[in-house]
Amino acid sequence: MSEASPVLGVDVGGTNTDAVIMRGDEVIAAAKRPTTADVGEGLIAVVRAVLEAAQMSPASLATVMIGTTQFINAFVQRRDLTQVAAIRIALPKSDGIPPMVGWPDDLVQAVGRHGYLVGGGSFYDGREYAPLDTAALEQSARDARAKGIRALALTAGFAPVRPDIEQKAADIILNVHPEADITLSSEVGGLGLIDRENAALINASLRQLSRKVVTSLKDALGQLGVRAPIYFSQNDGTLVSTAYATRFPIVTCSAGPTNSIRGAAFLTGLQDAIVMDIGGTTTDLGFLVRGFPRETATAHLIGGVRTNFRMPDVLSIALGGGTHVRGSADHVVLGPDSVGFELTRRALVFGGKDLTTTDVAVRAGQASVGDPKRVASLDHNLTTAVLDRIHAQIEDAIDQMKTSSLPVPVILVGGGHILLSRPLRGTSEVHRPKHADVANAVGAAISMVSGRVDRMFDFAGGRERALEQAKEEARMAAVSAGAEPDSIEIVEMTELPMTHMRTTAVQVKVRAVGKLRVGAP
Amino acid sequence: MYTITSDLDVRDMARGAVLLGSGGGGDPYVGELYLRNQLAEGRGPKILKASELSDDAFVLSIAGVGAPTVIIEHLVSTHTLLRLLEASESFYGRKIDALISAEIGGVNSMFPLALGTRAGIPVVDADGMGRAFPHLEMTTFGVYGCAATPSVLMDDSGNVVHVHTTTNRIAEDVVRSVCASLGSMIFGSFYPMSGRQVKQLAVHDTVTHTLEIGRRIRTARESQLDPVRGVLEFLNAPAEGRYARELFNGRIVDVLHETRDGWHWGRVLIASGAGRDPEFRIEIQNEYLVARHNGRTVTIVPDLIAILDAESAEPLTAEMLAYGQRVRVIGYSAAPIMRRPESLKVFGPRLFGLDEDFRPVEELAAAG
Repeated sequence: MSEASPVLGVDVGGTNTDAVIMRGDEVIAAAKRPTTADVGEGLIAVVRAVLEAAQMSPASLATVMIGTTQFINAFVQRRDLTQVAAIRIALPKSDGIPPMVGWPDDLVQAVGRHGYLVGGGSFYDGREYAPLDTAALEQSARDARAKGIRALALTAGFAPVRPDIEQKAADIILNVHPEADITLSSEVGGLGLIDRENAALINASLRQLSRKVVTSLKDALGQLGVRAPIYFSQNDGTLVSTAYATRFPIVTCSAGPTNSIRGAAFLTGLQDAIVMDIGGTTTDLGFLVRGFPRETATAHLIGGVRTNFRMPDVLSIALGGGTHVRGSADHVVLGPDSVGFELTRRALVFGGKDLTTTDVAVRAGQASVGDPKRVASLDHNLTTAVLDRIHAQIEDAIDQMKTSSLPVPVILVGGGHILLSRPLRGTSEVHRPKHADVANAVGAAISMVSGRVDRMFDFAGGRERALEQAKEEARMAAVSAGAEPDSIEIVEMTELPMTHMRTTAVQVKVRAVGKLRVGAP
Repeated sequence: MYTITSDLDVRDMARGAVLLGSGGGGDPYVGELYLRNQLAEGRGPKILKASELSDDAFVLSIAGVGAPTVIIEHLVSTHTLLRLLEASESFYGRKIDALISAEIGGVNSMFPLALGTRAGIPVVDADGMGRAFPHLEMTTFGVYGCAATPSVLMDDSGNVVHVHTTTNRIAEDVVRSVCASLGSMIFGSFYPMSGRQVKQLAVHDTVTHTLEIGRRIRTARESQLDPVRGVLEFLNAPAEGRYARELFNGRIVDVLHETRDGWHWGRVLIASGAGRDPEFRIEIQNEYLVARHNGRTVTIVPDLIAILDAESAEPLTAEMLAYGQRVRVIGYSAAPIMRRPESLKVFGPRLFGLDEDFRPVEELAAAG
C-alpha cells in the first residue's frame, strides 16, 4: 500500500486560526496564528507556518478541510448580518404566528422585521390547499426590493413534501427582484414550518458574509499555491464543498465544537469522555459518547432562535484565555467580556494594558507565553483567588454535563488549557493530549463523508426489512459522496410514524458516515 | 382571576403542559408562540377559577383536532379562531362567558388561551382530564354526563361542519373523519357547559399546574438544584390527594414506533447502566400508558407517566425519545375524579387494550 497522502486541516476560530498536516493517523506538523479580521491573512500565515514545520510544498497537499466558527460567531454576536425579508407562502393558514415570533429583540433589530404572508401551500399528502398567490408574492418581492433588501428567506407550508412550490415562487420573485438572494426553506430544514423558516432566515442573513469569508479563504490558499480540493466541515463532522458552504453557511454553524470533540477523541483514543475546549472567549464542554458528540435531545437554539438542526450538546460558559480579570483578591470579577483575538496585543504579558486570565496563568507559573516580567508584580493573593474562581466555574460546568455521579475522564483541548493546573472535582483523570491546542484542526482533518436517507418507508413488509433497506441506501449515499466502503458506520437512525393517519408509512431518517476515500473528487 | 403578562410564564406553561401530556397531546410549541405573539401585542390570557363562574355562565371547550406532524406545518390562524368563536356563538345562540381546555396535556392546553387572549374572554383554570388522551370522549365532562356535541368544526379555508351525535364515542369517530377530509387539522368547539357543570365535572386548577410545573423545573435549573426533585416537590400534594415519585433513572436502549389504525404505538426500553439488560419498559399508545420495572407494573393509565431529560428535566413527548438519551421517569397520580369506577370505564387500562386493572401509583410503590 502506498503511503497516505498528506491532508491539511484548518480551524478558523474567533481568536486563532489553527492548522495541522496529517498523514493517515499521524499528525506531521501543527501551527497556530491569530485570526485576522479578513480571515485570509491569518490563514496564509498559519498555512505557511505549518508547511514549513512539515517541510512540505503547498502542491503536495492532497486535500484541504476547513472548519470555521465565523458564521455562528457572527450570528451570535449579531454582526455582519444583512437585513432579511421573510416571505411565507401559507395563507389562509398560519397567520396567528407571523415570522420571527419569539426571536431576541437585538436579533430582530439586526435582520429587521420584514415578514410577508402570501397565499399557497400544501397538505401533508401534497395536495395544494390554496393556489400560489402570484400577485401577492410579486408585491412582497417589490416591497423588499424597494427597501433595498436582497436576502430573502422563502418558506411554504409542507415544503419538504412539495419543494416545487418554493422553487416556482423563487422564479416569480427573481422576475421582479433580479438581485434577490433566496434561501428556500426546503433546502435547510425538515418538517416543522417555524423551525425550518428560522433556519432559512438565519442562512439568508449570513449569505453575504459566507460569500466574503469563503472567497477570502479560497483566494488565500490559491495565493499560497495550494491546488488540492477544499472542503468545509459541517455540523455532524462530515464534509461539504466550498460552493455548498457558501450557499448554506448554516450547516457549518456547530462544526467548531464537533471538530473539537472528534479531534480530542482521535488524539486520546478515548470513546467516552467530557471534552473541554478552552478558547479565548468561551469554554465549551461537550460529551463524547462512543466516539461521537452527544447531540441535544430537545430543539436546538442558534443564537436564541429555535431550528430543527440536531447539534452537539455543548455547554458554553464565558471563560477563556482572553477573559478580563477585574476586582481584588476579596472580590474577583471574571469577564464575561474577553479581549478575544486581540489577546496577543492587549494582554499584559504581550505588552498590552488589559489584565486577562492568561496573565494570571503566566504569573502563577502555569504557562510560559509572552513576557512573564510584565506580570511579576501581580498580587499573589489575587492570582490565587482568580485561579480558585476559574477552577470552581469549570467544575460546576463539568457537573452540569455529567449524567451520573461517577467520575468521568476529561480531555482538555484548546489554547486556554493553560488556565487549569489542579485536579478537577468529579473527574477520573484529566488528559492533555499532544496537539491538544489544535484539536479543532485535527477534527477538521479527520472529517468524514456522510450519506443520508430521509424519506417514507412502507413497514407493511416488516419493520426490520424496511430499516435494513434504509440503512443500505444511506451506505450507498455515503459511498457516492466519496466514503471508503469498509469504513462506513450507521450513526443515527430515527423512525417517525405519521400518527393519526391510517397508514403503514413511516418516515425514516438514517445517517451513515465513513472516511474520505483517498483521491475522491 | 389573574392575568398572564410575561413571556417566561407562557414558556413555563408550555413546558408544564408537555409534562402533563404524559408523552402525548402534541408539542404545545405552536400555541406557545401564538401566546407570545399576543403578549408582544399587549394582550395576556385571563385565568379564572371555576368558583368565580356564575352557575348559569356559558362555557365552551375549544380544541384543535389533528395530527401533531400536521399542526407544526399549518400552525394556527387568528382569522379561523375568531370565525370559530363567531360561528359558535351564533350556533349555540349564546354569548360565551369563558373558555375551557378539554385536554390540558399538550397543545390543546394552549388553544383556549390563544382564542381567549385574542378575543378577550377568560379561560377557566381547569380541564377535562388533567392530562392528554387520544379520544374526544375521554373526559370527566363526558364521564359525568356532559355531551361533547352539538359542536362546530372549522378549517382554515372556511369550511364549517356542525356535528350532533347520540354518544361522545360516535362524536369522536365523526370528528376524526371530518378532520381527515379537511387535511388532518381542524379546530372545533366542544362540550358546551354551564358554570355549575364546570364546577362539578372538571379537573381543577390545571392551568395553574402547567405554570407551576414549568416554573419549578426552570427555577431549579437556574439555581443549579435538581430540577426533577423540584418538580416532584410540587406534584406531591397529599392535601389534594396527589402523589408522585421518581420511577427510574437510566438510558434509552431501544425505541419502537409504529402506527396501527392511525394511532402511534410504541415501546421504550430503558437500562440503568451500560451493558445492563433493559429493566424498565414503557408502553406507548400516543401517550405513555404503562411503566413496568422488571416486569412489575409501577404506574398505569389514567395515572400519569412523564419522561424527562436527565439533566435539564425538560419533559419529552413520545416523538422526542431517541436511542441513547439519559432520562428520568416520573409516576404521578391522576386527579381523584379520574380514578373513580365511572371514569375507569371510559379511560381505564382495558380501554387501551391492556390486560390488567387500574392500581394507583402510590399502592404500586408500596407493593414494591
